[in-house]
Amino acid sequence: MTTGGRRKIIAMLSVALAATAWWQYGPRSPAEWTTSDLVVLQSLSLNNLPALPADPSNAVADEPRAAEFGHKLFFDTRLSANGAVSCATCHQPTRHFSDSFQKGRGIGLSGRNTRSIVGSAYSPWQYWDGRRDTQWAQALSPLEDPAEHGGNRMQFARFISIEPVYRAEYETLFGQLPDFSDRRRFPEAAAPLQDPTMSAAWHSMSAEDQHSVNTVFANIGKAIAAYERLLLPGTSRFDQYVQAVADDKQEQADELLTDDEIIGLQLFIGKARCTECHNGPLFTNNEFHNTGVLSFPNEVPDRGRTDGLKKVLADPFNCAGIFSDDPSRRCDELVYVRTGIELLGAMRTPSLRNLGGTAPYSHKGQHATLAEVIDLYNRAPLAMIGHNEAEDKLYLSRRERKQLEAFLNTLAAPLATAEKWLELP
Amino acid sequence: MHAGESSSLRGAVWVLHMRSGRAVTLLAGLWLAVAAYAQDSGEKESWLTRSGYYKVSYTSELTPVTINKIHHWIFHIENAAGEPVNNATVSITGGMPEHNHGLPTSPRMTDALDDGNYMLEGVRFHMRGFWELTVTVEAGGRRDTVVIPLTI
Repeated sequence: MTTGGRRKIIAMLSVALAATAWWQYGPRSPAEWTTSDLVVLQSLSLNNLPALPADPSNAVADEPRAAEFGHKLFFDTRLSANGAVSCATCHQPTRHFSDSFQKGRGIGLSGRNTRSIVGSAYSPWQYWDGRRDTQWAQALSPLEDPAEHGGNRMQFARFISIEPVYRAEYETLFGQLPDFSDRRRFPEAAAPLQDPTMSAAWHSMSAEDQHSVNTVFANIGKAIAAYERLLLPGTSRFDQYVQAVADDKQEQADELLTDDEIIGLQLFIGKARCTECHNGPLFTNNEFHNTGVLSFPNEVPDRGRTDGLKKVLADPFNCAGIFSDDPSRRCDELVYVRTGIELLGAMRTPSLRNLGGTAPYSHKGQHATLAEVIDLYNRAPLAMIGHNEAEDKLYLSRRERKQLEAFLNTLAAPLATAEKWLELP
Repeated sequence: MHAGESSSLRGAVWVLHMRSGRAVTLLAGLWLAVAAYAQDSGEKESWLTRSGYYKVSYTSELTPVTINKIHHWIFHIENAAGEPVNNATVSITGGMPEHNHGLPTSPRMTDALDDGNYMLEGVRFHMRGFWELTVTVEAGGRRDTVVIPLTI
């Protein structure tokens, strides 16, 4: 081969190598924000979080004494079958009110990953599948789940009525408690659950007595919800950055986020298409999407919203039920709820604020790291059940995936909630 | 100009509230503000149904239309001669053609108001972007539909 020929080949190889490197690693310094980018950034900023929406179904939602009462209930392990499980067992204040397990661990192993409850007052739906529609109805469900608190409503109603401090706090908020001492009318343990003994005991009770137990049970949930409404995300580096950019304080903005984090943000609102679902100041639309997450090993795929919808419509403690305090019982979300095949395998979009410390991710903790989650969207696999809405591959390079992850970590921040609410009462 | 574009214009005007010192942003914002004002003060956009039986327009409870908030729309229906159509049934479906999914709720007509106006409740959008809403009007045995574009 001639020297010229060799040079040509070397030059061609160099160009190919440079092109590959560029494709693999992507840009190292961020582009300028466009006007429409700035609108999107503002829409994600905590500065634009609307005021806490009212919960007309819960008359004590904004009652400080209810929050105090709920705070105690939230941390009280006596609200369980074995005296060892409280709400805070899985919703740990130090872990953004989530835990570090694939699936929640109460008395047994819960069915799904523990979602953070921070900011859940803003969501029309609770849980991954939206099987509850208010914070207070959500708070009731684990109390009777055999794998979580494992108790029964009769036990909880009686506990409140005989515990002197709780009895006083309850009666200040909700009026006089019934007398549950007659064991012929009010058995030791009773609830309309799958457990045959518990169920038989419940059905031996008069409708009136069942109603009085249900009322106390619902009120326990309402007090816990009054507390949970106070759990709100705090200003993160990302929010400070958006403010600095809006104020045209370039130097300050440059100190707040690194170039990689800014490029990650640009990918987040652009090429990676994250804001299609992770939108608004809480980085979630609280809607249900099938994103092709693999089923948990050795389990059939989770039907998600398809089952959650049936459950919320059948829940006696839903917004339209007789235990709701809203006289109009408008319940628009429940009344105009969506049905259909799109809901199969769909799970509710989680918030992305404070992801650190809440790993593993996805509805059954299938992903150990953020990198794994990003990789899922990059690959866009076929769904095991239903249809993957995020079916287009993202073609993010390794560098871009790292930049996206770097951005996600800028959303970490201490809660905006006063310290006393994060500790044992 | 479509009503959808108008709402995105109004969204862009929001840029002004960000107190950006950038002259370009300010100028663009001002221009958009003027454009949006002109749009607002003008006549409401309407769409003719496929077979030309009805003229459909709407007013949203939310101006501009934003995401993640359930709200109602009032549809106004006229016949080809421009007279209000009463005793009609109005229904709506929709979705994002680029994302191959529908609306996150099932909005329904809940009231027939005066002068060809109809209340549809339970409207919510959960993504920014391009939406298409298929409105079906049925009155006096005549059924007709129109696809209304909306960019949020």
